[in-house]
Amino acid sequence: MNNAIAQTTALLSTCALLLTGCGGGGGSVANSSDSTTNNTTTNTTQTSTTSGAIPIGIALAQTSNVALLGQEGFVGARIAEKYFNSKGGINGTPIKLVTQDTSGDEAGAINAFQTLINKDKVVGIVGPTLSQQAFSADPIAERAKVPVIGASNTANGIPEIGDYVARVSAPVSIVAPNSLKAALKQNPQIKKVAVFYAQNDAFNKSETEIFQKAVKEQGLELVTVQKFQTTDTDFQAQATNALNLKPDLVIISGLAADGGNLVRQLRELGYKGIIIGGNGLNTPNVLSVCKALCDGVLIAQAYSPEYPGEINKVFRQTYIEQYKKEPAQFTGQAFAAVQVYVEALKELDKKTKISTLPLDKLRTELNKQILAGKYDTPLGEIAFTPVGDVIQKEFYVAQIKMDKDGNTGKFVFIK
Amino acid sequence: MDITLFLQQFLNGLSIGSIYAIFALGYTLVYSILGIINLAHGAIFTLGAYFTYALMGGNFGFNGLLANATLPIKLPFAIALILASTLAGLVGVVMERVAFQPLRRQGSDPLLTVVSSLGVGVVIVNLIQYLVGAESYTYPANTYGNLPPAINFGTPENPIPIRSVQVVIFAVSVVIVAILTYFINRTKYGKAMQAIAEDPTTASLLGINSDRFIILTFFISSFLAGLAGTLVASSVSIAGPYFGIAFGLRGLAVIVLGGLGSIPGAVVGGLVIGLVEAFVPSEFSGYKDAVAFGILFIMLLVRPQGLLGRRFIQKV
Repeated sequence: MNNAIAQTTALLSTCALLLTGCGGGGGSVANSSDSTTNNTTTNTTQTSTTSGAIPIGIALAQTSNVALLGQEGFVGARIAEKYFNSKGGINGTPIKLVTQDTSGDEAGAINAFQTLINKDKVVGIVGPTLSQQAFSADPIAERAKVPVIGASNTANGIPEIGDYVARVSAPVSIVAPNSLKAALKQNPQIKKVAVFYAQNDAFNKSETEIFQKAVKEQGLELVTVQKFQTTDTDFQAQATNALNLKPDLVIISGLAADGGNLVRQLRELGYKGIIIGGNGLNTPNVLSVCKALCDGVLIAQAYSPEYPGEINKVFRQTYIEQYKKEPAQFTGQAFAAVQVYVEALKELDKKTKISTLPLDKLRTELNKQILAGKYDTPLGEIAFTPVGDVIQKEFYVAQIKMDKDGNTGKFVFIK
Repeated sequence: MDITLFLQQFLNGLSIGSIYAIFALGYTLVYSILGIINLAHGAIFTLGAYFTYALMGGNFGFNGLLANATLPIKLPFAIALILASTLAGLVGVVMERVAFQPLRRQGSDPLLTVVSSLGVGVVIVNLIQYLVGAESYTYPANTYGNLPPAINFGTPENPIPIRSVQVVIFAVSVVIVAILTYFINRTKYGKAMQAIAEDPTTASLLGINSDRFIILTFFISSFLAGLAGTLVASSVSIAGPYFGIAFGLRGLAVIVLGGLGSIPGAVVGGLVIGLVEAFVPSEFSGYKDAVAFGILFIMLLVRPQGLLGRRFIQKV
């Protein structure tokens, strides 16, 4: 019996690691080049599927506890596929999205990338979902000379992984401090700040450092830093610890479920001050967690549904018709990533018919074209730095406004 | 630590501990009868929460295969809770027939049963995601009627707030433990279950239909899991299909600490883990899981039978 329990415990520990999805991973450096096998066979096949469409890889999480973020991206990519194909695709040739599930861990992302590159022969990839997955999977694409556009990777150091790695998701260091300025504008009396962050997530650790630095730069007092895990649900101990210190402002770096729950529990325990949510809370899914208690939360955004650009109007309307709610940031960013591929391929096709290019040549030329172009997307006008980081003009701060019934709400753009 | 903060964290610990306890009761019930750990318990816990959501709202949410599908009824919380827990209990019975009984008949190693239950759990979790998506869902704000959001156990000057829903969960946990203890120790069915736990062969010779009582055990265990899932979801929302996994792992720590197969042990274990977690210093608050499992490992080394468990006796 002792043995059985010991075996069960060992087994369970393994299960814990398998099941907790987006665990660990400081994710501050790219993997060494010998950490994974890589097939970089030179490919000279034609660049189209049997249906004649041009394949673009979508490597996002469809399973694990990261699936929610992945699903948001998939929806955006699918809307883009339908929209651009209805507009004639790449000068008459349609695009075809080839999807692979990255799950929530690094191994899943690596497998998805290898399949898309070597089996599906895609011209480029959108993904993966998490920054920490990108640090492991992007080097695979880099060595195979396949362009990658991150649509939800906001940690520092992503574009620096390699020449073929770019992103449309603005780094958190640029986006996050805007919400702090907005909070101080709403309440200039703010003195004491309590920070909460999910310590098991590379992106949230990166984001909280930016927030904490911004707090100090504004001359505010950081009274406590409370940590949690993205898998946590009960925050009463951390919340009461922080509330005993009477903060005027609370800043949360987490994901939708844990972050939303934390907001809810802080409010239920009597906190009445301003709450700032990080990028992980920048999704309508947070509304279904804290419901009426979400009201008033400030969130800095790299995408606003209210951006007045024409393409955003079309994208937003399509999304609302299908899902009866406002699109999330990751949905907008995934749409933008596919749009970048489409427009870069169009430009390339004008110079040289892409159907005549061997796949390896096409991938290389496409990468150059992506970095050279300017794009009017639902995020606003974007371009890329030589290293592949997004240059974005428009950033937003939104405040959650819940409807009277407390069940529905929206992100209201603060001018 | 001043007295107010101490009391605050003590009550925090009791409230989270009661959640662990109510979760672990079903775990320990199956173990006490069959001597196996049912790793699908966390998935049934999640399922109960989703069943209640669907029965209360009359729909299955807005994503997945069942997006926008509706039910002909919308039930009040109390009725939805009982019905959802019953449905969870029935799922537990089906699971026993599909994943446990065939292995038991073959006299398989208990570890294979554990792996089988893990497989069932993963399938259920993924099925939930396929059917209703990965979104979080929350019960309506008026689930508990006009209950205030928090109750102050301190003074206006030194408030000690505890969320009302946590107080409800604590009260329900106490009631469930009392009912379960009465059922196991005072009723004919409960005594039959104890007899099977003691010696299934002799129990059969005495005319007790083991198979029927194993089904009953799984029904009660899964009913409790569904009930716990709903209560916890009313406190912290349904945090997606993987919602029950963390509780499943924590529940294991609880029953090992309290004593495998011991119902009072599950309660004591849950409360101890809850209290220890509450008193983890704030700078280490992200390491609560490590603390819970650290206790589990220490307990395995120092007192394998747990706080209230019986010493293992190896027959030779």
